[in-house]
Amino acid sequence: MKVEATATGKNVHPLLKVENLVKRYTKRSLAGTPEELLALDSVSFTISPGTTLAVVGESGSGKSTLANCLACLESPTSGNIWFEGKDIVKLEERACRQVRRQIQLIFQDPASSLNPRWSAFEVLVEPLILQRKFNREEIKKRVNYWLGRVGLSQDIVGRSPMELSGGQRQRLAIARALTLEPKLLILDEALSALDCSVQAQIANLLMELQGSLGMTYLFITHDLAMAAHFADEIAVMDRGRIVEQGPPNKIFIQPEQETTRRLLAAVPRIGRGDQSALER
Amino acid sequence: MRYLVRRLGHAFFLLAGASVLAFLFTALAPGTYFDEMRLNPQIAPETVAALRAQYGVDKPLPLRYASWLNSVLHGDMGFSFAYNGPVAPLLVVRARNTLLLTITSTLFAWAIALPLGVWSAERLGRLSDRLLSWGTAVLLVIPDLALALGLLIVAVRSGSFPTGGMASVDFETLSPANKLRDLALHMILPVTALVLSTLPLLVRHVRASVADVLDAPFLLAALGHGIPKRTLLYRYALPAAANPLISLFGFSIGVLLSGSLLIEVVMSWPGLGPLLLEAILARDLYVVIGGMLFSTFFLVGGNLFADMLLYWADPRIRAESNAR
Amino acid sequence: MRVRRVLTRWLVTLGVLHGIVGFAGFFAPYDPVEQDRKSPYLPPMRFHLIDGQGHFHARPFVYALKLREGSFDRYVENTTEPQPVRFFMKGARYRLLGFLPCRRHLFGLENTRIYLLGTDAYGRDQLSRLLFGGQVSLLAGLLGAGITLSIGLCIGAVAGSFGGWRDSLLMRLAELFMALPWLYVLFAIRAFLPLAVSPLRAFFLIITVIGIVGWARPARLVRGVVLSAKERDFVRAARGFGATHGYLFRRHILPETSSVLLTQAAILIPQYVLAEMTLSFLGLGVPEPVPSWGNLLSSLQQYSVLVSYWWIYLPALAMVPFFLGYLGLASSLQERGAAYKIESRIWGI
Repeated sequence: MKVEATATGKNVHPLLKVENLVKRYTKRSLAGTPEELLALDSVSFTISPGTTLAVVGESGSGKSTLANCLACLESPTSGNIWFEGKDIVKLEERACRQVRRQIQLIFQDPASSLNPRWSAFEVLVEPLILQRKFNREEIKKRVNYWLGRVGLSQDIVGRSPMELSGGQRQRLAIARALTLEPKLLILDEALSALDCSVQAQIANLLMELQGSLGMTYLFITHDLAMAAHFADEIAVMDRGRIVEQGPPNKIFIQPEQETTRRLLAAVPRIGRGDQSALER
Repeated sequence: MRYLVRRLGHAFFLLAGASVLAFLFTALAPGTYFDEMRLNPQIAPETVAALRAQYGVDKPLPLRYASWLNSVLHGDMGFSFAYNGPVAPLLVVRARNTLLLTITSTLFAWAIALPLGVWSAERLGRLSDRLLSWGTAVLLVIPDLALALGLLIVAVRSGSFPTGGMASVDFETLSPANKLRDLALHMILPVTALVLSTLPLLVRHVRASVADVLDAPFLLAALGHGIPKRTLLYRYALPAAANPLISLFGFSIGVLLSGSLLIEVVMSWPGLGPLLLEAILARDLYVVIGGMLFSTFFLVGGNLFADMLLYWADPRIRAESNAR
Repeated sequence: MRVRRVLTRWLVTLGVLHGIVGFAGFFAPYDPVEQDRKSPYLPPMRFHLIDGQGHFHARPFVYALKLREGSFDRYVENTTEPQPVRFFMKGARYRLLGFLPCRRHLFGLENTRIYLLGTDAYGRDQLSRLLFGGQVSLLAGLLGAGITLSIGLCIGAVAGSFGGWRDSLLMRLAELFMALPWLYVLFAIRAFLPLAVSPLRAFFLIITVIGIVGWARPARLVRGVVLSAKERDFVRAARGFGATHGYLFRRHILPETSSVLLTQAAILIPQYVLAEMTLSFLGLGVPEPVPSWGNLLSSLQQYSVLVSYWWIYLPALAMVPFFLGYLGLASSLQERGAAYKIESRIWGI
């Protein structure tokens, strides 16, 4: 029923709406004044279902904090997060667990997001077992289905994640997240740790999945070129704030902020190298 | 300076904590303890009554702790029933002897371990290094007790040097020089036992930390500059490896203190060890607690000394604590 | 792979050693408390293959010992009568592993008694006492380490999982316990417990004391593992799947501590066996007549024994192969642990 609602109201209701999100860390030491760190400084944006928003920023700009807050892994200091029209910030632990299943996170390092002591199969079924509504047969069926969807062969299930290649691991992590059939997938630098050719493969896989499943992505990266390749909309973050937002074309052609220009300068481009060298 | 103040604060915290523990020992047991004492015909009922009053068994705990701490700080560490006198002077003499043994052993152990470890690290993997590693491994797996008893048997059988106590029978009649010689002779056996029991640990750590440093680029560079190997090892490598070793120094004092407890009993050295053992067997409670407090004090003092050494030896710590 | 093979080798070595002690009843020729008042302080007997006439015997034999003429404690071999050693013979009753009633012993003599490690003041067989004493001492080490690790795991897990003031409080307490000279603390606690108790109660008393005093180091190590495990991506991912805190701890965080706990066990067990030995040696541990490795040696505190009866010292060396085994086990466990990134950080501290 919910699926229908989002499908029909695609242009009316955003899937995710973030309003004035603030996250402040206080580091207390035994002596001296507590040090404050403003990781998120009134961040606001919306994502419509079936689209991709890329959040681009340098390291330390608050991207990962944003990902953690959205995935309900950390609670923000203030502000609202509306997911499917519900505010998920002030939920209790139990309700929070339900929401988390809808918003899945893919991590930068696939090696560390898969328990090295487990087999690929154990890793893959963990979310399904935690849901407690499937029997063995159903679990097996789903696992095989999603393995096929991400392009992994079924004979890897007996192996340890440590024996897989980087690309295979990231596919495994994606398959694991998708078994929950989430509405929103947050990709936290999900491609950064991979080799170039593997990056392209995974990127294509993600785009193909978006096309066929109508997935919504929040794509977090430091790589503006990758973001432009991927996203319908780009938000540039600097020191906890969103400084510029717009479609990729606009960001690329008419960057308004210094941060954006700096990020643009880091993008390798063929034939225009002289210009970026001048800017520096 | 900030660093030293912090370490001093830490040492103070440890002493305070140890005193609370020691107090809890005395405070939580007395109910049964005084009852047991009353049954003991050797202790006068008045003494029991006086002690009950002094330790104010019926007052609340924090109040009792304050008065207990007050009396300890004034040198009153309780009453020994076996010796029928105050505990503090008794402990001071014994603690002095234990300290003599521990400090001598610490110095000897480090004086041997440092050159041996550096020497071994320099020829890492060669036959001489492997032989030494085996030697330390063998020493490591022989328990202290077996080591001490074995030494004692060898000494008794050879009969070449004294095997018990701290002084010969005619000690008082000797000239000062001969007194010193007599003391040194009596110390040979317990010090050897203590040194041998800690040596393998120290040698292994020195070897490992110096070997770590020897791989560092700055040492290769120094080697390239043509600095002699000896200078390189002792003036460059050893100070760079000093950091973990100084922490180990504090730790080694603790090991030696605990080790000396047993060695003293085996070799009948009149230190804290035999006194504590007697005290436990005679249910002489305050002596035991006092002994624990004394040894904690030594250990904390030793660690504080190690911290100061570290401050003196490591420019990074100095820079960091002065910068703030 | 190489590390794994070395690890297996040490485990097998320790298994064999513990097996010998575990089946002490079978390997020991006599009951450990059985006295032979006629032969106190008998020196060890030797195995022979060639008798006084130069004849070779395939079956090893010993000579019984008799008092030397004009001596009251010096023995010589009675070479007129070789006593062939019998294997798998019936002897004193015992309970194998504590419950199976049994009479078979690995070896023994038919006419007289065999004392391979000599006898003590009451004419009790030192070898039998050594083997049965090992049961007491090793069990003390194992149970003591078990207590320490359980306490350390609980406290470390609480400190690491909850953080905040609980963490600060527990870790300060751990620092305090690690700063105390532990043998002195052991003495102090022992001083409050009753002295004259039955061997069984004394045994459990000292296990508990030894076990409790050492909680601090494992607790700190476990806390470190829990803290770093909590932040690992696969734990965060599992939270994302809607896992409860209990599930996360049980399935993801607890297994991470296993390697630290195992290494700590390999370090603690010999240390605790030694602690039991020390206490019993000083007469504060397991009392006579029950043998333990510590009280076997306690008669060496008498000068006369030390001078005249060197074989009483032999049990002191029994600990050496066990120590060696545990040392090897601990170092190969550490080596294996270093393979995981997370543990190598712990050992770096």
